[in-house]
Amino acid sequence: MGRWEAKLRLSEGTLLVKNREVVVPGQALAKGKFKPGKDVYVDNSGVLRAKKLGLADIKDNTISVVPLSGVYIPKEGDIVIGIISKISGSTIIVDIRSPYQGAIPIPRGRAVERVDMSKYDLHLGDVILAKVKTFDGSSSLLLTIDMEGLGKLEGGFILEVEPAKVPRVIGKRQSMLSILREKTKSEIIVGNNGRIWVRSPSLKELLALKKALRKIETESHVSGLSDRISSFLSEELSD
Amino acid sequence: MPLYVEKKPDVLITEDGVRTDGRLPHEIRPIRMTVGILDKADGSAFIEWGGNRILTAVFGPREVHPKHLALPDKALIRTRYNMAPFSTPERKRPGPDRRSVELSKVIREAIKPAIFVENYPGSVIDIFVEVLRSDAGTRVAGVNAASLALANAGIAMRGLVAACAVGRVENFIICDPNHDEDMWGDADMPMAMLMESEKITLLQTDGPMTDEQFKEALEMGRRCIRFLYEMQKEALKRPYLIVERSVFEQGEV
Repeated sequence: MGRWEAKLRLSEGTLLVKNREVVVPGQALAKGKFKPGKDVYVDNSGVLRAKKLGLADIKDNTISVVPLSGVYIPKEGDIVIGIISKISGSTIIVDIRSPYQGAIPIPRGRAVERVDMSKYDLHLGDVILAKVKTFDGSSSLLLTIDMEGLGKLEGGFILEVEPAKVPRVIGKRQSMLSILREKTKSEIIVGNNGRIWVRSPSLKELLALKKALRKIETESHVSGLSDRISSFLSEELSD
Repeated sequence: MPLYVEKKPDVLITEDGVRTDGRLPHEIRPIRMTVGILDKADGSAFIEWGGNRILTAVFGPREVHPKHLALPDKALIRTRYNMAPFSTPERKRPGPDRRSVELSKVIREAIKPAIFVENYPGSVIDIFVEVLRSDAGTRVAGVNAASLALANAGIAMRGLVAACAVGRVENFIICDPNHDEDMWGDADMPMAMLMESEKITLLQTDGPMTDEQFKEALEMGRRCIRFLYEMQKEALKRPYLIVERSVFEQGEV
C-alpha cells in the first residue's frame, strides 16, 4: 500500500464491524470520518463505540446501534397506550410502562369550550391512546388526548412486546403491521411504548397474533422476518 | 462446638507452583456465563465460576420509590449483594450484614462508571446479586455477572466491566484464588476494569506485597480480566446466534 493510499484510507475512516452485526456495549464500531448515530458515542481517542447491546446499522457515513432490549423512554410526538393509574384533582396520571408517569391536565375555565369534554370522562383502569405532548427528560411528562383518534379505547385486548421491538412490529412503511392486520383480520393499534391494542374477529386470530408477536421479538435480528411472519400466520390460521 | 471445622492444607503451593486444586499460578477456574435467564427481570445473568453460583438481576430504569431518593439529573444506582443461607459451609444468618453491605457498595462503585446515568434522569436502576453457592471470589464474579445483566437489560453503557481476583501464596503471584488460598494465602487483590478504556474501577488489597509483587499481580489481573471480557462478549451474543442458526435450519427443511 502506497503512502497516498494510506493517507486516503485514514481520511475516509475505518469500519470495524459489519452491517447488522450484533454488538455489545463499548465495542469499537469505527474510526475516523464516521458520524455517531443513535446509541453510539465517541470516546476520548475519537473511536465510535456502541452504547447498548444491539445491531450495528451503517447508513452512508453514519453508524447507529439498533438496541435489542430496553425500557420505553418517551419522546415528544410518540403515540402511547396508557392505563389510568390515578386521578387527583385536575390531573389524570397515566401508566405508560416507562420510568416516567404521564400526566394529562383536565381543561378548566375557557379551554373547556374548545375541547370535547366527554373525552375526559375517564376512570381508574381505563385504557387510552395518547400522544406525548412535552417531555423534559426527567420529571414532567405531559400527554394529550385532545386530538382526532386519541382517547379511551373501548373493548379489545392489550398485548405487550418489548419497547425495543416496536419498530420491527410496525416494519418499514408499516409493512409488518399491514401483514398482521391483513392475516388476522384484526384492528391493531401499536403504541410506541410496546403496548398493542387488538380487536380480533375471534380468539383464534388473537392467539395467532400473540404467537406472531413473540416470534417477531425473538427473531427480530434475523433478516427475512416479514416473509417468515407472513407464512407463519398463514399456517396458524389455515384449518 | 462448630459442626464443621476447616483444616488448612499442609501444602498450599508446591515448589513447581502447583496449587491445591491442581492449577498453575496463571490458570483460572472453569467459568460459564449465561444471560437472560430470568423472565420477570429487565436483564439477568448467571455465572458459574469454580464452585461459585451467582444469579444477578437488573430492574430498570424504573420509577424511584420512595420518591425523595430520585436524583434530578441522573439515574440512581442501587445494588444489593446477598448470600443465601445455604451458600456457605456453615449456615449463614439471612439478611444484610457488615460484609454484604460493603460488597454491595464495592460492586456498585465498580459498575457505576460504565453506566450513562445522565441518560435516565429521575429514575433508578436496581441491581441484585444473589450468591447461591460461594467458593472464594464472589465479589468479582458478581461484578462480571452484574455487568452482563445491565447489558442484557438494554441499558446505555460506556463498556462492559470485567473483574478477577489475584493473590499471593508464599512467593507465587496467583490468579483467581480458590477457597484455600483465600483463607490461608498471604495476599488477595480483587480488581475490576471498565473494558472500553481499561480503566480500573475496583482495586482492594488484603495482605502484604512488595512493589514488584504488586506490579506483577496487577499485570496478571489485567490479563485475566481481558480473558473474562472475551467470555462476556460471547455470552451476550450467544442467544442471538442460537436463534439465527435455528431460523436458518428451519429454512433449509
